[in-house]
Amino acid sequence: MSSYLLGRLASLVLSLIVASIVIFLVLEVVPGDPAQFMLGLNASPDTLAALREQLGLNAPAWTRYITWVLGMLHGDLGISYTYRTPVSELVLQRLGVSLPLALLSLFLTMLIAFPAGILAAARRNSKTDLVVTGITQLGVAVPNFWFAMLLVLVFSVSLRWFTAGGFPGWDQGFWLGLRALTLPAIALALPQASILARVMRSSLLDTLEEDYIRTARAHGLSRSATLWRHAVRNALIPVLTIIGLQFAFLLAGGIIIENVFFLPGLGRLIFQGITQRDLIVVKSVVMLLVFAVILVNFLVDLSYILVDPRLRRR
Amino acid sequence: MSEIVIASPDAPRGTLLRTALRSPSFVIGALITLLFIAMALLSFVWTPYPFAAQDIPHKLRGLSAEHWFGTDQYGRDVFSQILVGARTSISVALIAVGLGIGVGVPLGLWAAARRGSLLDEIIMRLNDLVFAFPALLIAILITSVFGPSATNAIIAIGIFNIPVFARLTRAAALSLWTRDFILAARVAGKGAVRISLEHILPNILNTLVVQITIQFSLGILAEAALAYVGLGAQPPTPSWGKMLADAQTLISLAPHLALIPGLCIVFTVLGLNLVGDGLRDIFDPRLQRSRR
Amino acid sequence: MSLLAIQNLRLSIGDTPILHRIDLDLEAGKVLGIIGESGSGKSMTSLSIMRLLPAGSAASGAIHLNGTELLGQTEKQMCGIRGREIGMVFQEPMTALDPLKTIGAQVAETIWVHDQMSRREAMAEADRVLDRAGLPRSLFPRDRYPHELSGGQRQRVVIASAIALKPKLLIADEPTTALDVTTQARILDLLRRLVDEDGTGLIFITHDLAVVAGLADDVAVMRHGDVVEAGPTRDVFRALAHPYTRQLFDASSHVPRRDPSRSGWPGEPSGDRSDTAQERPGGEPVLVVDSLIRDYRLPPRHFLAPAGKFRAVDGVSLRIERGENVGLVGESGSGKSTLARAIMALEPAQGGSIAIDGTPLSDRDLVSRRKLQVVFQDPYGSFDPRQRVETLITEPFHLLGADAPHGAERRARVDAALTDVGLSPADAGKYIHEFSGGQRQRIAIARALIIEPSLIVLDEAVSALDVSIRAQILDLLAELSDRLAISYLFISHDLSVVRSITDRVLVMQNGKIVETGPTAEIFANPQHPYTQELIAATPNLERALQSGLLSRTAGEGDHAKHGGGGGPTL
Repeated sequence: MSSYLLGRLASLVLSLIVASIVIFLVLEVVPGDPAQFMLGLNASPDTLAALREQLGLNAPAWTRYITWVLGMLHGDLGISYTYRTPVSELVLQRLGVSLPLALLSLFLTMLIAFPAGILAAARRNSKTDLVVTGITQLGVAVPNFWFAMLLVLVFSVSLRWFTAGGFPGWDQGFWLGLRALTLPAIALALPQASILARVMRSSLLDTLEEDYIRTARAHGLSRSATLWRHAVRNALIPVLTIIGLQFAFLLAGGIIIENVFFLPGLGRLIFQGITQRDLIVVKSVVMLLVFAVILVNFLVDLSYILVDPRLRRR
Repeated sequence: MSEIVIASPDAPRGTLLRTALRSPSFVIGALITLLFIAMALLSFVWTPYPFAAQDIPHKLRGLSAEHWFGTDQYGRDVFSQILVGARTSISVALIAVGLGIGVGVPLGLWAAARRGSLLDEIIMRLNDLVFAFPALLIAILITSVFGPSATNAIIAIGIFNIPVFARLTRAAALSLWTRDFILAARVAGKGAVRISLEHILPNILNTLVVQITIQFSLGILAEAALAYVGLGAQPPTPSWGKMLADAQTLISLAPHLALIPGLCIVFTVLGLNLVGDGLRDIFDPRLQRSRR
Repeated sequence: MSLLAIQNLRLSIGDTPILHRIDLDLEAGKVLGIIGESGSGKSMTSLSIMRLLPAGSAASGAIHLNGTELLGQTEKQMCGIRGREIGMVFQEPMTALDPLKTIGAQVAETIWVHDQMSRREAMAEADRVLDRAGLPRSLFPRDRYPHELSGGQRQRVVIASAIALKPKLLIADEPTTALDVTTQARILDLLRRLVDEDGTGLIFITHDLAVVAGLADDVAVMRHGDVVEAGPTRDVFRALAHPYTRQLFDASSHVPRRDPSRSGWPGEPSGDRSDTAQERPGGEPVLVVDSLIRDYRLPPRHFLAPAGKFRAVDGVSLRIERGENVGLVGESGSGKSTLARAIMALEPAQGGSIAIDGTPLSDRDLVSRRKLQVVFQDPYGSFDPRQRVETLITEPFHLLGADAPHGAERRARVDAALTDVGLSPADAGKYIHEFSGGQRQRIAIARALIIEPSLIVLDEAVSALDVSIRAQILDLLAELSDRLAISYLFISHDLSVVRSITDRVLVMQNGKIVETGPTAEIFANPQHPYTQELIAATPNLERALQSGLLSRTAGEGDHAKHGGGGGPTL
């Protein structure tokens, strides 16, 4: 087990390093002169020089890279050019919206997808299966931001159950905040749940063809007992991989959904950063998101050890 | 995210088209897809109105005989915009898939031929790395430096397609490398490149074709998302995603502006997915048996 | 009353009829062997008894187990019967167990599903049953997982879970087909002991007549969904009344006709134990392997530990003379496949040398490889499904480089190769899926022949074929070897096949050749303990029929005691 674990850990660190190099190269080296880039063509030479000083651009690239990485490890993400505040503050603020949103949608996704996928596989080719397959087929084709707009149309504009957007802040109350995140989370969850349900169904169907299922039936287990005691756990292993990969899409989707609902999350931050050419903000937020994805995949790899004994004792 | 299906290469060939036509999934999907492709091609030669022609007095009209899909907030004909938007979405997704195949498949074949070597490790690690960057993040990176455009959208989506195809090709190829007929080719003195091209690639085409339809549909969704946040094709070029962004504030006034482009996206993606499902069923006889 | 009575069983899956009319009987405490080749319906019969048929199946007739009619039971009732009244053991032990559950838990499952006892009591009972199955707790803690066990050990776990509740009927569907010969012998002993102890009725399904002859009281021969003949084992095999039974019997003990002028003709031990073959015309040996070493790198145990090494082939030397057929036998893990791959230049060697027709073998030098070809085991995986037969069998021409034939000459070679193997030149334009398993092996042989090699390596080339087809292919191989003076390196785990076609035999164990000599000698007088063990473990039809006569009479007394019928106690 230790060699598997160490291997995964090494992979994690290596991925983070390479990712950070890529981000740094694209955002600091490619534009040529980041200061010029940020200020535009009409900037005065004095402002340019001041910014260059502030960004430490007079040092060679690799030292700037090391400074940046060391800074990140200390929680220092630089000062935003547009907001004049530390990026870490901005990020923490926005995380308060983006992180709960991501977690809520992940939870909803699994809540919908697992029962649907298992049920469809257990009753293959029945009406239930056809309904699930049909709905998921549709769900996969729906852009989440469009679905969000439809939800707003139905639930906010017509039914007035939810506000059409905005976020009151957690200090106004937990449930109020949660309510503001409900429609966005549902919008995110639907296409993801559709994908996950199909993967679950497919994985379970494959597992049900395995020999050990037949052995369990020969012991006298009923079909449903066999399903729950043997098939589901084995079918989960490939599904775990998908969940890890889906997290990346969830983050990306979250960024877009925040636009629909005017949520003050990381998405808004990053798009403003792009429009205002605030590379400091963009650099840090992208790094953070990539870090989150790599971390989640690492956790998924760890979870394999819990689920699959073949990976344990070496 | 895509499901990885290694199609069995033992399916008998010959009446492939005839079998395909018997699959309802495939037929319906193909019809829908062809419809949208036709719309895109049509837009090159004809649209009812010039898509950028404004007509403020007739703005925000609903469906009518003059304007089949109504008009938007500038009086522009929605149907014309849909036609050109189809062109945008399909071409972006198609070229991005081409990029993915053009780079990803050779990488995957190479990695499989050199299984276990340092090269294989490196290719797999690079794959994993790109997977950590969702297409949106790549688009953000590129557009923050180079500015938004359709080309940059293609590059972003294409870069993400590369590891998808590389990983799939490698997995499919690996499952073939241990088969006896490959050993026979090696005993006949054939080298890795020759075997990859002569034996491996033709036998994984089925799997690749299914994945192409999936990535194509994902590309349409990705292009729409990028256009929605302003990172795709820039105005005046219409894009379904951009139309949705514009329609958002007007949703209670003119719901058709939000519904129509959205439905177009849904149906195009649905069509492609149905084609992919149909093809998968045809290629994998195991699935066919369990259908009974 | 018999334990199991199957009357007029018909089965179809969808529109396809599978079983036409099956009548079988089994007395308590007795063993019924069901023999058949692939497609005979023998497995479907057992699945019908268990009512574990695939979706879309329709079965009619009657299956009586101790008076209970099984086809009329509800699914819930069948769940109560499976595991308690009927136990079943399947063919593939490697995939028969849930990889995520411990072996103790899987055996206990059968117990607590039926009995009201607590989980702890069930585990204790499972512990006892695993002991009975030859897996003592001291060596196999009950919290082991299946992947930590070998194939034979996993099969013991499956058997344990099947007999845990001492069912009246045990069905074993090819339980030893996937196992090594020595493991097979031990598992057969285990089954024999268990059914004798518990008085269980056993249905043993197999394609191997020798196995069934040594084990079964009664035998039923199946073909294409019918029982063509049934009765007491020795009667059926002595009389061979039905032509199909006779065909199977002949094929099992088939020895291909060889040219009698060749020395070392099988069946005649000449007492000559010398390692080298008899003097032959045309001096240069076809294959010379000298002290070959092949190591595999193992992944390191810890992150910082050095990579380990596993020596699959440990200093092997051998010679094959022109026209000589040499067999290489060994079980899984012996290194014979690795040796074969090294000889075929598919894997690099870490020491020693290989020479073909005098030329040193190098994987880069295509010329040195022209005289060597191969036939593989799996007729269904040996060919690219997208290519026509002509392209497939001319693939070795690649070794000829610029010397490869074109046009008319190429066509002529293709036609000749196809005719040589008993097919027609018209078959060159077809696709491989249009041919049966036996025909595909013929095409594989044609592919091997076409560049006129001196040596053909046959890697388990007949192991995947039905018995009757196997005999035909062996005949073909013998004829080709005699006529074209080609040598074979015949690799197999099946001693009876090797015995029938080779002049000399090499026995391999753990990467080394432990014994070598003329085939007849080795089989008549094995010297090395491992060879002796292999030969003793290999089921032998004649021997089984002879001794079967004795052991069954001795056993009848015990069976009578358990079965409750009258009979002399011995």
